[in-house]
Amino acid sequence: MDIIKIDDLYKSYGDVKAVQGISFRVKKGELFAFLGLNGAGKSTTISILCGRLEKDAGRVELNGKDLDENGEDIKRAVGVVFQSCALDKPLSVYDNLKCRAALYGITGEAFEKRLKELSDLFELAPVLKRPVGKLSGGQRRRVDVARALIHEPEILILDEPTTGLDPQTRKSVWGIVETLRKEKGMTVFLTTHYMEEAAEADYVVILDGGKIVAEGTPLQLKNAYTGDFITLYNVAEERVQALGKPYEKLPEGYRVAVADTAEATSLILADPELFTDYEIVKGKMDDVFLAVTGKKLTGGTEK
Amino acid sequence: MNTVFALIKRNVKLFFKDKGMFFTSLITPAILLVLYATFLGNVYRDSFTSNLPEGFVLSESIVDGLVGSQLISSILAVSCVTVAFCSNFLMVQDKANGSINDLRISPVKPAALSMGYYVATLIATLLICFIAAAICLAYVAIVGWYMSVADVLLLFLDILLLVLFGTALSSVVNFFMSSQGQISAVGTIVSAGYGFICGAYMPISSFGDGLRKVISFLPGTYGTSLLRNHAMRGVLAEMQTQGVPAEVITGIRDSLDCNLYFFGNAVGTGAMYAILGVTVAVLVGVYILMNIAKRKEK
Repeated sequence: MDIIKIDDLYKSYGDVKAVQGISFRVKKGELFAFLGLNGAGKSTTISILCGRLEKDAGRVELNGKDLDENGEDIKRAVGVVFQSCALDKPLSVYDNLKCRAALYGITGEAFEKRLKELSDLFELAPVLKRPVGKLSGGQRRRVDVARALIHEPEILILDEPTTGLDPQTRKSVWGIVETLRKEKGMTVFLTTHYMEEAAEADYVVILDGGKIVAEGTPLQLKNAYTGDFITLYNVAEERVQALGKPYEKLPEGYRVAVADTAEATSLILADPELFTDYEIVKGKMDDVFLAVTGKKLTGGTEK
Repeated sequence: MNTVFALIKRNVKLFFKDKGMFFTSLITPAILLVLYATFLGNVYRDSFTSNLPEGFVLSESIVDGLVGSQLISSILAVSCVTVAFCSNFLMVQDKANGSINDLRISPVKPAALSMGYYVATLIATLLICFIAAAICLAYVAIVGWYMSVADVLLLFLDILLLVLFGTALSSVVNFFMSSQGQISAVGTIVSAGYGFICGAYMPISSFGDGLRKVISFLPGTYGTSLLRNHAMRGVLAEMQTQGVPAEVITGIRDSLDCNLYFFGNAVGTGAMYAILGVTVAVLVGVYILMNIAKRKEK
């Protein structure tokens, strides 16, 4: 079942065409990733999706409801984690969550009950009385996610949630999101420029210049836009050259590009002595991104 | 209603967390009082005594009471509006630091969001202005007290109305601001200019005819006049008791803007209340409509 349907979405800021007629579907319970460089149109799309930004044209439907006609219902169904913390930094975690809960009509005992659940899930008890501005990056991110979930939304939108976080905190945030998805069946809509995050998604849409340039499951994308790679160890470069395939020198071996697994198999069968220490892997999302956009993605900026 | 209450509570808490802003706002009227008493007291005194009939002598207490009442009405007229502009920074700060995004993604009606800012600013400004009024009244009690309980109550009503007006005006103006720099600039301009156009620094009666007519269209002017009327009623009544002719009293009232004229027609205190009340209602209405119109970013 499609929980999000977007058709022919357009948005411009003056002469800048941020989103140019994109259409896609998100299935209920899936981890959906929007992959693109800064300025590709990711944040603009989710700002429209969560009812914060006016669209120029197109149709946005969440849970079968049109955004233009059911803005309030849709806002209740969506939780958003922004790129940077949008909570009130001078106020305590408790005050922030209490205020935001009240905006959804959750007050009194209902709030305390929900706070307990979130506090257990995100280990917030030690920081509840501390001002948000005094928390570490990782603690603040956990509070951001808790705020997004305060009203038990069906869809969690994460706008580059791990940007700027250290690897350990990134892993911890990601662990929480995975738990929510698996245990609660929550739909997660992620925008990212981290390939490893997109590779974990059920479905990926690659945006470039406000347009969708590729979409599919990570496997479909890899199959469609990259071949396989054979990494050979302990061989002379001349023998790799003799294969007649494009290759790349690695610190301890050579990475040979082949069209697909079948071609890799035929190469191995043709010269089994060469393939004594080797591995075959699918192309990475980086390769897919490079193939469809002609750009390398490093930290959200073009290389 | 719970939503508006939650927003008001949030906004008030954020205002008082910024202790520097709170104390600066609080001591500003006290500093103004010291400056006025030091630099303008003698100007007011000379201007007043020169209006008295030749050879007529009034007690020091009455003269000081009149000058003091004029000073405090000027300070309060300016403070109610300038403090409102200083206190109404949160809606701009929320835009600047992105907190507004978090509020706008929740199912909060634009009218609730705008009322949250308005009422919170009102509470903060009222608190500061009432404290300022208490300081001003203490000053008058020291130099020469002639006010009745009714005068004091009406003075507080005037402050309430002027704060409602200042908060509504600042809400409409600050709606268009999106950075701390812009709001500081507006605050500076208002602090510097409002005292002149509301007749607090210099009586409107001392301006030229054309300027007087223009200023008579500004609602804040009537707030200043209300404060003058209620701060000075007691001392002017005492002067009349002590034998100052009624026409001299009328002359003083005219020269100090207790009596205001709209194109030659006297404006009574009832009309002044009505003008301020209607202006507040219109400004709050405009502010809410602007928020509704800008429900989403373009």
